Amino acid sequence: MERRSRHWLRGLRTLEFGMGAILTATTVALVLLARTLYPDGGEAMDLGARLMPPFQDWSHPLGTDSLGRDLLARIINGGRISLTVGFVSVVGGVVLGTLLGLIAGYYRGFWDMILMRFADVQLALPFILLAITFTAILGADLWNLIAFMIISQWVQYARVMRGQVLSLRDREFIQSARAFGLRDARILFDHILPNGFGPVLILMTLNVANNILLESSLTFLGLGVDPTIPSWGGMLADARTYLQSAWWVGVFPGVAIMITVLGLNLLGDGLRDYLDPTLKV
Amino acid sequence: MAGFLIKRCAQAVFVVLAVTLLVAWAVRLSGDPAIMMTQGAGSFTAQDLENIRKALGLDRPFSVQYLEFLKDLVTFQLGNSFFGGMPVARLIGEALPSTLLLASVSLLVSLAISVPLGVYAAVHRRSLADQVIRVVSLVGLSLPNFWLAIMLVLVFAVTLGWLPASGNQGPTSIVLPALTMGVILTATNLRLVRTAMLETLTAQYVMVARSKGLSERVVLYKHALRNCAIPIITYVGLQFGNLIGGIVVIEQVFGWPGMGSLAFDAVAARDYPVLQGTVTVLALVIVIVNLLVDLVYGLVDPRIRAE
Amino acid sequence: MSWKGFGALCVAALAAPFGALAAGTLTVAQQQDPGSWDPIDTYLVNWSMVANNVFEGLVQRTEKLEIKPALATSWEMIDNDSKIRFKLRQGVKFHNGEPFNAAAVKFTFERLLGAEGAKGPQQSNYNAIDKVDVIDDYTVDLVLKRPDPVLVTKLAGYGGMIVPPKYIQEKGDAVFNTEPVGTGPFKMVEYKPKVGVTLAANPDYWGGAPKLDKVVHRFIAEPTTQVAELQAGTVDIIYPVPISMIATIEKAPNIAVVSVPGPSVVDMMFNVKNGVTKDVRVRKAIIMAVDREAIVKQILQGQAAVTASFQGPLSFGYDPALKPLPFDPAAARNLLKEAGVKPGTEVQFDIRGADAVFREVAQAVAGYLSGVGLKVSLKPYETNTMVNDIIPNGRTGEAYQMAWGGWTFDFDNTAYLMYHTGEHWNPYVSDPKLDQMLEAQRATYDSAKRLELLRGVAKYVADNALDMPMYALNTIFGVNKRVKNFAPPADTRYRFTEVTVE
Repeated sequence: MERRSRHWLRGLRTLEFGMGAILTATTVALVLLARTLYPDGGEAMDLGARLMPPFQDWSHPLGTDSLGRDLLARIINGGRISLTVGFVSVVGGVVLGTLLGLIAGYYRGFWDMILMRFADVQLALPFILLAITFTAILGADLWNLIAFMIISQWVQYARVMRGQVLSLRDREFIQSARAFGLRDARILFDHILPNGFGPVLILMTLNVANNILLESSLTFLGLGVDPTIPSWGGMLADARTYLQSAWWVGVFPGVAIMITVLGLNLLGDGLRDYLDPTLKV
Repeated sequence: MAGFLIKRCAQAVFVVLAVTLLVAWAVRLSGDPAIMMTQGAGSFTAQDLENIRKALGLDRPFSVQYLEFLKDLVTFQLGNSFFGGMPVARLIGEALPSTLLLASVSLLVSLAISVPLGVYAAVHRRSLADQVIRVVSLVGLSLPNFWLAIMLVLVFAVTLGWLPASGNQGPTSIVLPALTMGVILTATNLRLVRTAMLETLTAQYVMVARSKGLSERVVLYKHALRNCAIPIITYVGLQFGNLIGGIVVIEQVFGWPGMGSLAFDAVAARDYPVLQGTVTVLALVIVIVNLLVDLVYGLVDPRIRAE
Repeated sequence: MSWKGFGALCVAALAAPFGALAAGTLTVAQQQDPGSWDPIDTYLVNWSMVANNVFEGLVQRTEKLEIKPALATSWEMIDNDSKIRFKLRQGVKFHNGEPFNAAAVKFTFERLLGAEGAKGPQQSNYNAIDKVDVIDDYTVDLVLKRPDPVLVTKLAGYGGMIVPPKYIQEKGDAVFNTEPVGTGPFKMVEYKPKVGVTLAANPDYWGGAPKLDKVVHRFIAEPTTQVAELQAGTVDIIYPVPISMIATIEKAPNIAVVSVPGPSVVDMMFNVKNGVTKDVRVRKAIIMAVDREAIVKQILQGQAAVTASFQGPLSFGYDPALKPLPFDPAAARNLLKEAGVKPGTEVQFDIRGADAVFREVAQAVAGYLSGVGLKVSLKPYETNTMVNDIIPNGRTGEAYQMAWGGWTFDFDNTAYLMYHTGEHWNPYVSDPKLDQMLEAQRATYDSAKRLELLRGVAKYVADNALDMPMYALNTIFGVNKRVKNFAPPADTRYRFTEVTVE
């Protein structure tokens, strides 16, 4: 325990972990406060004040979009959708995938075989084409989108976790835990999971970013969700035609995504170093 | 080894079969091509729709249509497009090379950036250079691919006029799409290389090599890099599916005439034969790439074969 | 003559032997590859953009939308309006040298109306034709089953295009799909699926050889990429131009935006069967709550016209005297109150997710409606899902987007499909009085009477607020200034015979 806490402190001290923590905390805090800061959700529109440039009028610090809505208000509110998409889809996928990966890797045998074939099929299907087909069938709805991301991504976590289990299960400390007569569940969750979670964590932080952007790509392809609810990805996709005439409409939501992605990944790296003892150099 | 080979091939066949079934089923949920076709017409009757369905062979039960699709697949015919009757095999024959070319060049671009930088970052872990490399690589991760694509087009095609903005009109055409995909992939690949390298550097045999007094350069290039190539190759194999998926958007932006835009148009038009054909062929490519990776892997590392 | 002029003349004389210098190549970008060039296989505007230069019908429609002789030099209704007699143009040859004559016309329509045509979308447009009688080599009668007042207009496009019998019989349909042969001013010399098409001038064209040597069409799906190509000077004409990029194009010195009123009308159809929009007062309130003039002026930058019915000013049946309900939020609020609709009531509007312009407009509509206390959620669908499933099966929200091209520029094409009971895209409206008016106008060739009936339909629909017509959109092209004599076609069917490039 003592060894761990020292490591934890060192992790905190590193520049990246600190930066990551600050960035993520700021983003999450702003998004949580969105409704308090802007009770109307950034929907107030003024067609007479379209495409106002940023830093000129302090009622619209970041300017306005093509319907004359305050860009800052929309970005802060847009974070609610983007972060929901990013986090819920990843957490859902991780819970499902890690669990199945743990079980498959630990017990092997028939279910492992089934799981791996399932994974093979899913990895062979180009995800975005499936997404397009299913959005076409089901309609573009936020929760459909999230469910779809979970269904298509749990495989990645399952595969990674299974690989980790395979490499860990014959290690000495697991062998000895088994020799002590610990129940399988204890071994899996107390010993294998924390020791093998590092790569999953990295994948998670990468996928939060991927999924926020995926929503953007789907909007780009014409399959986005309700445009009255702002989301960073949707704003970015809709802004692409204004890139040369009103850069701020697209650049600021892009910056918001960048800050979030940066924060999360720095945080993820720091956490991973803490969790994975083999990486202490 | 033969047993391993047979087992892997059997698995691959299973995967492709499962994909075909899934795809054939899913496309038929997505809408009726007959109605699509009458869209531009004036008043049409139920009889008109029935005639079209009959002509397209859609009045038959799903099992019959699916078996025919499998038969077509085995004979490499793949049927004809519903819209205009162009043989699907011809469409794919023209689109697949473009997509494979784009995918491989993008992958090469990405590896060319991520391997040297990743190794450098791993060796100089925690240095300023390491931090900078990783933060900059995250930029690739936080930009949607279409956005980066448009930016590059504006700079290199519109402002500077150095490169064509779209299409496939010669060797220079591939530069912008491949660069876009390459940069996007680099964010992930760089982290992978760095992690793999770090793991190898802390591994026992590297420690041993060091303790034997070998120079750091020999340790790095002779032992560590070669060993961390295996996880990188595996991952690249796994990633190939994602890569092909991401190509849909890139092909759309750059008007690159590949499998992605073919499939995208086919979904929009409910062109079952084209959609089934493209997705199955893509799945086949992904499976084959992974099979090759596995085989290489199996040859290199006997422990895998035993599994 | 000035010396300068004389000099130019000398240069022209010197250049004359090298035809390529005097003429040139025009490059055009369009969004989609129609997949087949056979006229009976298609319904896509993108087909016409190319094929209108390769094929011709018995009649043609100019860029000003007038019907003029083409392969027929004259025509008349005979035998109590049961036949149309066409006198055919003599001495015309298809691109492969095959002669054009009455047999080609007969072959074309028998193919369209027979088994081959049944596979495609065009047959049902021409079902009014019973058969073709050949009177002599250059005279044919189209015998009609029932009256179709719009038939002659339809002969100027799509399924009515005349095809070469011998070529198709010898080479087969598959070859014809990719290597089409017509009588038009340009011949198709190369077709690369999903990439592009190259047309070359037909020097023997009966109307005089085109001034260009070549026209290259490239398929570029993404509008921002099309604009980039235009800016880079690598493409001469692009369509469609996203309204949000007009400012970008206008900033560049070498390119320009050219626009004309077009056939596309965007409309919010109401669900008159369920929900709060069942009540005509609510529907009227919604119409009055939305400032469409402001939407057109601000978001659409004037590239559209507010309309009072589901048709543009170019359409036969348009009534300039019919005015839309005024923008009056106070009156709208009162109507809602009268109808017992509480503030904060939620309504769902279905839109096409891929329509970037309407995505913005719909958000503005939602904004206006929140001003009178309605909370609008927008549900984007993939276009074909919406058109093939959501609308026909009556699964829409309170209102849904409908956009109609109306390629015949006749209100019949839109009105009948939208308002007649039981039509595929009309899941809700069923009104015997409306049905009767719609049927009556189809049964007569009397233009004045038809006009009156169609205007009656438009007024009846407006009085009952069955839909909220939004606007008639302009057809907008981006054009490089080196292109001369380009007459922008409202129907996007390019005509490049007179065009030159510098």
